[in-house]
Amino acid sequence: MGSSQSMSEEVRELVSKTGFSSDQIEQLHRRFKQLSGNQLTIRKENFNNIPDLELNPIRSKIIRAFFDNRNLRKAPNGLADEINFEDFLTIMSYFRPIETNMDEEQLEHCRKEKLRFLFHMYDSDSDGRITLEEYRNVVEELLSGNPHIEKESARSIADGAMMEAASVCVGQMQPDQVYEGITFDDFLKIWQGIDIETKMHVRFLNMETIALCH
Amino acid sequence: MEGTELAVQVVGTWLALVLSLILLPSAFGVSLGISEVYMKILVKTLEWATLRIEKGSPKESALKISASGGIIQRDESPMEKGISGHRGRDFELSDVFYFSKKGFEAIVEDEVTQRFSSEELVSWNLLTRTNTNFHYISPRLTMVWVLGVLVRYCFLLPLRITLAFFGISLLVIGTTMVGQLPNSSIKNWLSELVHLTCCRICVRALSGTIHYHNKQYRPQKGGICVANHTSPIDVLILTTDGCYAMVGQVHGGLMGVIQRAMVKACPHVWFERSEMKDRHLVTERLREHIADKKKLPILIFPEGTCINNTSVMMFKKGSFEIGGTIYPVAIKYNPQFGDAFWNSSKYNMVNYLLRMMTSWAIVCDVWYLPPMTREENEDAVQFANRVKSAIAVQGGLTELPWDGGLKRAKVKETFKEEQQKNYSKMLVGNGSINTESS
Repeated sequence: MGSSQSMSEEVRELVSKTGFSSDQIEQLHRRFKQLSGNQLTIRKENFNNIPDLELNPIRSKIIRAFFDNRNLRKAPNGLADEINFEDFLTIMSYFRPIETNMDEEQLEHCRKEKLRFLFHMYDSDSDGRITLEEYRNVVEELLSGNPHIEKESARSIADGAMMEAASVCVGQMQPDQVYEGITFDDFLKIWQGIDIETKMHVRFLNMETIALCH
Repeated sequence: MEGTELAVQVVGTWLALVLSLILLPSAFGVSLGISEVYMKILVKTLEWATLRIEKGSPKESALKISASGGIIQRDESPMEKGISGHRGRDFELSDVFYFSKKGFEAIVEDEVTQRFSSEELVSWNLLTRTNTNFHYISPRLTMVWVLGVLVRYCFLLPLRITLAFFGISLLVIGTTMVGQLPNSSIKNWLSELVHLTCCRICVRALSGTIHYHNKQYRPQKGGICVANHTSPIDVLILTTDGCYAMVGQVHGGLMGVIQRAMVKACPHVWFERSEMKDRHLVTERLREHIADKKKLPILIFPEGTCINNTSVMMFKKGSFEIGGTIYPVAIKYNPQFGDAFWNSSKYNMVNYLLRMMTSWAIVCDVWYLPPMTREENEDAVQFANRVKSAIAVQGGLTELPWDGGLKRAKVKETFKEEQQKNYSKMLVGNGSINTESS
């Protein structure tokens, strides 16, 4: 039943850090408690109870993204064992839509952060490069349900896409040159000019008070 | 001794009052109007409380409504549009975006698990148990709340327990007595009488106010009645307006006694636990039952488990394979007066009944829908979905394709693979591969 006064100090901090409104934070807090079973932290196992998530082919990568130290801005590599509410909000903030009142610099920063999130999802060993192996891994996960496709085909799709990426980043390659992997700068180059903002956001509603109709 | 004499006198007058004012009238289906007066007072009080809460709360932290629309607006566009492609296109890095977005939406808000907990109220109804968001407003409101607690626990609860006790014992005794008679139309008439009377008494025990709509579509003999399931009380609510043959497992304890007594008076279909697993056996017995046009309509809840009355989940196709006419019924409770949902993982039966008896009242609407039969080109699953939509539309509930069994079990593997199959079909067409020409 607690009063709203004591929450406001922490909530204000979170509002400034993550950009959510206080209502949205309170809603997300309830969701957090639901997921964690009223504990203070969430572990990987807590995500297993979401039926909608089970259908998603890359669910393990999504769950992993929540615990990735790079996304949590705690360390350059490794995984956390558990995350608290602030970490939860930090990860959620990657999916906030672009505000209409952002200036050029903020827009650029926002976009970069979203792309960096995606980059981390591909680059599972945190070495700063998406290698052919890692790329193949993602494609296989996405296609794993279809019995008509064998591993070979998934590989060739990945190989083809990798080659295209190489041509964009490095240009014409010498015959004996080995393309090591896509770095983050290359990644940004691939996405230059392409509008990702609409694809990578979740529309959070503004929880304004709704008048009761009698 | 004077003390015991006084106590006996009090209990005696109490029982006499209960008998004359409540039991006898409800036995004859007559209403003295006491409950109507009670409901009017209740509604006025709750309206006053709502206004006070609205006025009293400060501007910024006014009523927090968690509409069932939730915190995010989900992107419902199908996979094809989300990935903005056509068949046979090549894989792109951005495809991962679509799936990560969907994954995030699922993590922030999930349509299914919220159905297994009680519905949140728009405005507080002065019951402690529903007080999740509401803060202290004013001394007057608190006083009304205290008064409410006293009324509910010290006056209504004993009254209701007495009524329930009478109702159940009358049911057991009545049906056993009727069961002694030889099979005849008199026996059927008597057993109906006993059932209806005891159900009416039990409904009074919960201060139930039920509105029946479209009584002309009431289920007929030889048919199957199908309804959405929110709590064990659903059965009580439906049998107050007509007699049904129940289907279910044989239980032990008090439930078992009631079941055995009921089956003496008129044929219900009770299964042993082991028999429930054998679907053929179950279907056969049910078919036999409805083939006899003189037997009462069967009552089935195809969801298989209790849902919180905001949505209708997947109807299991078993009941729709039996054949015969289906009479759909929609039941919608008004959560303002009391939450009827039985969260079986949180509360056991006794706890649940106690909560029921200490709510204000149970108010619900029952709509009888026109009968449906399976059409020629429909299979059982499609038929089940058709019936489910009709019930959902009438009751104002949302429809979900998910299985109520998810309350306890995990998603089946076959569902998981569906999405992957769809995506890979998009990429490669059915079997042929579209590689880059090198």
